[in-house]
This record gives sequence, structure tokens and C-alpha cells, in this order.
Amino acid sequence: MIVFDGVSFSYGSRRVLRDVHLSVGFHERVAVLGGSGEGKTTILRLILGLIKPDEGRILIEGDDITAKREEELRDVRMKFSIVFQEGALFDSLDVKENVAYCLREYTSMSEEEIDSRVREILGSVGVEQAIHLMPEELSGGMHRRVSIARSLALGTPKMFLYDEPTTGLDPVNADNICRLIADLSKDGRGFIMVTHKVSDALKVADRFIFLKDGSLLFDGDSRGLLHTDAPEIRMFIEEIGHQGQGC
Amino acid sequence: MDIKALLSDLQNFYTLAYRGLLGIVRRPFYFKDAMIQMDYAGAGSLVIVFIVDLFVGMALSLQLSAELSSLGMKMYIGMIVGISVVRELGPVVTALVFTGRVGAGMASELGSMVLGHQVDTIRVFGFDPVKKLVVPRIVSSLIMLPALTVIGVAVSLLGGYYIAVFVSHQSGTFYWSSIRNILTMENVLAGAIKPFIFGYLISSICCYMGLSTKGGAVGLRQSTTMAVVMSIVMIIISDFLLTRVLLYVLGFSV
Ligand SMILES: Nc1ncnc2c1ncn2[C@@H]1O[C@H](COP(=O)(O)OP(=O)(O)OP(=O)(O)O)[C@@H](O)[C@H]1O
Ligand SMILES: [Mg+2]
Repeated sequence: MIVFDGVSFSYGSRRVLRDVHLSVGFHERVAVLGGSGEGKTTILRLILGLIKPDEGRILIEGDDITAKREEELRDVRMKFSIVFQEGALFDSLDVKENVAYCLREYTSMSEEEIDSRVREILGSVGVEQAIHLMPEELSGGMHRRVSIARSLALGTPKMFLYDEPTTGLDPVNADNICRLIADLSKDGRGFIMVTHKVSDALKVADRFIFLKDGSLLFDGDSRGLLHTDAPEIRMFIEEIGHQGQGC
Repeated sequence: MDIKALLSDLQNFYTLAYRGLLGIVRRPFYFKDAMIQMDYAGAGSLVIVFIVDLFVGMALSLQLSAELSSLGMKMYIGMIVGISVVRELGPVVTALVFTGRVGAGMASELGSMVLGHQVDTIRVFGFDPVKKLVVPRIVSSLIMLPALTVIGVAVSLLGGYYIAVFVSHQSGTFYWSSIRNILTMENVLAGAIKPFIFGYLISSICCYMGLSTKGGAVGLRQSTTMAVVMSIVMIIISDFLLTRVLLYVLGFSV
């Protein structure tokens, strides 16, 4: 369970979140929607303890992470698998080394074991053939897949966090990523997917949160989202028609 | 920028610079990352250091030769080139080249890692970005800038030799024997301490600027520019202060 208890956050003088109350179970499949710069990424960074709220508390499984030091946060972060916006692969390392990054540090696997583990994970997201490519040689869709693979390399997270997983992809690739996201959550583990593409969110999530001006303008299911009167959300939803079917 | 922000920036910089230095002697060590940085900073800078220092040595020798010949003291050319290059020009010029090539690279690489959430990823994976990113860069600068400086000084002296012998028609043997005479413990120390200080300054300033990048491409340009400008200014100022202190400590009378 992730709980935001009156969380406010600003970057310098720019107020991003104000007094946000929110609780999300580890099994829930949540889409966080909102325009550019509304603080969607900020929410994910707060959950991982990468930044601290100015006010309020954040509880992960009842554990207050706001007062924790960097070293103590490792266990909290290990509960999640995160795929950052644009994938965030290390561009000085090839695909294999990206996926093996944590394995090399935290396990004592031999070179062959690492190789076969990396191939196995890459295979599970369907990009085994890319193992020796550099990140800049990957297509957008492959890039995201490798990033998902890397986030899965170390054990089993309790929940997945995705930041704009389908942004910048063509409809076919976006659709494939959505399917991968749905597959990974088949066993009941939930996710928080941050996106501004409502069409993709509708495909995979069953709870929708809409961020506007630092607060939650909407929090509910797809029926509620599609029938809301809030003009800001309506504008977002009408985008679907213009985008075609998306995902 | 207001005073409060400036002070907190300075404090963050000192903290980073301090932790970066401490990280050299505290676990965990990331040898492989340091090796990659050393290869980039050292081997990668050889050619440009070679070219720049060669021409600095030649220009210096040419200027001196013109001036000294009107005074009839051309035989001092080796001595003056030697002292200027060993104590002052070699370390400073090499450090400036290093800033432009390696420091700017550090700032822009780390900056784009911040913007691309790669630094976030490193933290999520349980690594300390200071240990993983900053320490290897400080180590590589502390080792490679002094090494490059030695090479740069040698190349400058060679450039000076070329001008002294082939343009100014001095005796080559005499040139080298004057160089040997000025290579005293004091002169060598007065030059050799500098690249360690410069290397530490450049790497900590550039890493700090890179890691504090925010705001997209414009922010990246700003932090890279700031990194280079601050490094250059700090090199020049600290060179003066160091010279003052070293000359005093080593017992030169001014
Ligand atoms: N490191 C930072 N320093 C200062 N301001 C920042 C920083 N990171 C983000 N911001 C600002 O905070 C606001 C919220 O950022 P955030 O990245 O959470 O938005 P977002 O909803 O993810 O937007 P996008 O769709 O563009 O990814 C933005 O206006 C952004 O400019
Ligand atoms: Mg974002």
C-alpha cells in the first residue's frame, strides 16, 4: 500500500503538488493522467524517495519513507520496478550490460550465468536479438522493452512503475508495450502507469487519477472518467478521437 | 541569484567535493568505472595536449629569443623557457586544455544523465551516484592531469628547443644543460603540486555542475558553460595563490 498523506512538493518556487491525499494498493492497476508538467513524474520520484515532500508524509506498507536516509531507502526501492520516461538506459553500456548492471553488483553469478539470465529476461520481453546493440541503435519500442527487462533483472518487484511507457511510439509498438504491461501484471501485481495518452491508459488500467494544478481532479474508474463533466478531462478524452485508436 | 541560493549552492558543492575525495579511500570502489574515465581523460587527451603545449613552448621561445637577442643574452633562453614552462605554463596550459576537453565532457555527460533519469536509475538500483559517478572522475583527473602535465612540459621544452636551435641558432647542448640546471627540487615541486590541485578542482566543479543540471537542453548548456567558466577562473586564481604559497614555502625570494 502506498499512501500520500497531505503531500506538497515544489521545485524551488514552482509548486508542483499541493496537499495530495492518495492511497494505492500494490495490486491496483492505476493510470496517472495529466498534461505536460503537471507533476506526474514527480509523483513517481516521491514514491521512490528520490525527492522528499516539503509537507506531508509518504507511507509504503505503513513505513514512513519521508524521514529515511538514502541507505535505508534501498529496501523500499527494491519493492518496485521502475521504467523511467524515455527508458533511461545507460547509453555508455550495451543492452547486455544495462540488464546485467544490478546482477554484477548484487549477485555472485559467473559470466555464463549472467549471460543466460540476461538472455532469459530479454527473451521474456521479446528483444533477445538486441543483446549486443548499444541503446542508440535501438528503436523506440525496443528501448522501452530493454528498460522493462532491466527493471526486472533483480528478483520480483511487488509493483511496477511506468513513466510514459508508450509516449513517442507508433500505435503498433505502443499497443505491444501495453500488452507487455498487462502481461506482467497478470499474476495480480499492480502498476502505476504515468501517461498523457488516455487511450493507452484505458487499455490497461482500471483506476484513473487525473492531475491538474497540483491536485487530484479525478480519481475513479473508466466509466467515471469517460462520463465526467470536468472540461479539462473532457479535452483530454476527446484527444482519443483525434489520435485514432492508439493502443 | 539571491545570496541564500548562492550559499546553499556553495555548501552543496563543498559537500560533493569532500565526499568525492573521501570516496577515494572508502568502500565501495568501482575500479572499472575509474579505468574507463582514465582512458577517456588520459589517452584521449594526449594528442591535444601534445599540440597545444608544443606550440606554447615554441611561441614562448620565439618571443624570448627576439627580446633576449636585442639585449645580447640569447644564451639565457633555455633557462627562462625552462623555468616558465616547468613552474607555470606547463601546468596551467595543460589544465586549461583538460578543462575544455575532459571537464566539459564530464559536465555535459552527467547533465544529460540527470535529465534522462539515468542518475535516478542509479539511485533506485541502490548505488550512490557520488561513488559511482563522481569518485571515478576525480580519481581519473588526479592521476591523469599530472601525467598529462609531465608530458605537456616535456613537449613544451621540445618546442622551445626547436626554436632555440633552428631559428635562434643557439647550441642545443647548452639549451638542454640550462634546462637540466633549472630542474632543481624546488622548481620541480613548484610545478608538480599544481596539477593535483587543478585536477581536483576541475573534476569536482564539473561533476557538481553536471549533477545540478535542470531544465532540458537550455539547462544543459548553462551547466556545461558554467562548469567550464568556473573551472577556468578557479584554475587561474588558484594558480596565483598556489604560486604565492609555494614560492614562500620552497624558500624563493621574490
Ligand atoms: N529538477 C527540477 N528542477 C526544477 N523544476 C523541475 C525539475 N523537474 C521537474 N521540474 C518542473 O516541475 C514540474 C513537474 O514536473 P514533472 O516532471 O513531474 O512533470 P510531468 O507531469 O512528468 O511532465 P511531462 O509530461 O513533461 O513528463 C514541471 O513544470 C517541471 O518543469
Ligand atoms: Mg514526466
